[in-house]
Amino acid sequence: MSQRRAAVLVASLLTAACVASTAAAQSAPPAEIDRGLKAAGDFSVVWGPRDADAFFNYTDYRHNLLRLARLRLAAEWRVRRGVSFLGQVQAENTDDVDVIAAYVRWRPWTHRGVVVQAGRIPPVVGAYARRAYGADNAVIGSPLAYQYLTLLRNDALPETMDDVLRMRGRGWQPSFPVGSAALRPGVPLVSPRWDTGIEASWRRSALEVSGAITMGAPSQPRLRATNDGRQWSGRAAWHFPAGITAAVSGARGSWLDRGVLALVAADRRRSSQSLVGADVEIGRGRWLLRSEWLRAGFDVPLASGPTAVAHLTAASAFAELRYRPHPRWQVGMRVERLAFSHVPNALDGGSLTPWDAPVSRIETVVGFRVLRTVDLRAGWQQDWRAGGRIRERGYPALQALVRF
Amino acid sequence: MAPARWLCTVVTVSALAVSISASISISIGAGAGPQGTGTIRGRVETPTTPPRSVPRPSVGDVSASPSLSPDHLTRRQSVVYLESGPRGAFADLPAGRARLDQRHEQFVPHVLAITVGTTVDFPNNDLTFHNVFSLSPVKTFDLGRYPVGQSRSVRFDRAGHVPVFCDIHSHMSAYILVFSHPFFALTDDEGHYTITGVPAGSYSVAVWSESGGSDPQRVIVAEGGLVEAAFRLRQRRE
Repeated sequence: MSQRRAAVLVASLLTAACVASTAAAQSAPPAEIDRGLKAAGDFSVVWGPRDADAFFNYTDYRHNLLRLARLRLAAEWRVRRGVSFLGQVQAENTDDVDVIAAYVRWRPWTHRGVVVQAGRIPPVVGAYARRAYGADNAVIGSPLAYQYLTLLRNDALPETMDDVLRMRGRGWQPSFPVGSAALRPGVPLVSPRWDTGIEASWRRSALEVSGAITMGAPSQPRLRATNDGRQWSGRAAWHFPAGITAAVSGARGSWLDRGVLALVAADRRRSSQSLVGADVEIGRGRWLLRSEWLRAGFDVPLASGPTAVAHLTAASAFAELRYRPHPRWQVGMRVERLAFSHVPNALDGGSLTPWDAPVSRIETVVGFRVLRTVDLRAGWQQDWRAGGRIRERGYPALQALVRF
Repeated sequence: MAPARWLCTVVTVSALAVSISASISISIGAGAGPQGTGTIRGRVETPTTPPRSVPRPSVGDVSASPSLSPDHLTRRQSVVYLESGPRGAFADLPAGRARLDQRHEQFVPHVLAITVGTTVDFPNNDLTFHNVFSLSPVKTFDLGRYPVGQSRSVRFDRAGHVPVFCDIHSHMSAYILVFSHPFFALTDDEGHYTITGVPAGSYSVAVWSESGGSDPQRVIVAEGGLVEAAFRLRQRRE
């Protein structure tokens, strides 16, 4: 069965689950409601301008986040005490249905905070990728680390660093001489998609520790393995009583496809991506502050030249703030920066140059809560890029969000 | 989650519980209470228990969130109240104080009935932060996020119906019914209620419940009298 057909099937099952859970909720006695099926969803429409040349908000699945209709359905089926099946499907712009999550959750002990999850599971690194899209987002767009396309591709490799530098600021469609010649986007530091594998977590009082073994890499989560590597990831978080959560996380996995690795010499076949991060959330009164820092390192084999493998790093940091001056109104702002390590630029007399064009972004939003489950938002995003054809652009955006 | 609902009442005549619109119940016995007043009592029969609001699927969680305790809330609870009455019955009310607690990701009690001018405290006695809010036109408020052991207060100055939610936990809900007079009563676990001290006169009695609706009911309360009025709620069609 193709992945698309599987996704449609899961979507159908989840839709049925929504209906079934509503019916079940009408008749089930309260004591039994913690078992059985529950479902929820949200629908978001963002109206923004077309962007056919700057591509600041395009994702690795080729959609502009500021011009997007997205439907999400999630369901949890508690089959017995401590065992649940969870799934989430997502449809974007009516042309894609994707299985975001499909896993089993097992809590072996009722009174101990141990959870084991297996399947297509939520990532343990960072914080943003686990949040519900839309309602839990301070603004409309996604952080650069989770969305912005770098020039690196998992199915094509440069011959030399000159090939890398020629692609600066062209993450929407970078091309390299080794590997796939198809027109495809580059990879973000962390994909918003989820990886497949198994994870375990333990929580006691304020401390929460998680670890996972999965198939892909932070930038390349996988449903099927495309190389022989494994991703190891972990996270430790502290939940302080004052409404502060602070966490550190890290991951290491193989990000290159085995097909392109086979095209370089054996002594150059290194393909690990490492990621370290720290995040903090402070919520108090009408204020909510979140900040996240991520540093990713990519091993990039160079098919020829004296350097066998280039180790390219990128760092991203953002801080976002949400404030509710009134029960119906909220304002939000995110400030962020994505920077890249420097490499000698032979095209420019050997000067040190970031291997991709650094990007800065400021986004602000005003939101109005029409109903408890309906939000309208209007925002502006301003982007700057130190490279590429388009170096600065501002985007207005309107969003309607419905939860059900 | 069931939306807020105002219910009308049905007159119940004899034990057959046959509802007849615009019927009148008249005092049939002696009712305890201040001089010149009577008592209305009876039972509200609810067809179903409102479904418990369950948390949304926690697809993004990697660790164990605290287990919710079993739902001990009295979701069948209704509020019976005088819909209309003589002007003298709606005298100035003393400012009262009430409490809507937050425990185990639930508001306790689930239904709170108060008079205009009452200040309601919202203490957080849970294991996590909460953010109590309401978008009701009767009283719109947002108490923001506050931690365990702290409380926030809201004064209710208009009569009406105020659904209350938590912005962090979407499955948490409660209802505050604000009355401009003191003649209302919450039903007990079996649906029984008693409204005492009702000045003699003719009144329209209504019942509010999360689980159903009915038509209003007219009663005549005699001095020292006791009116029996039973209600059978219809299930909502939504």
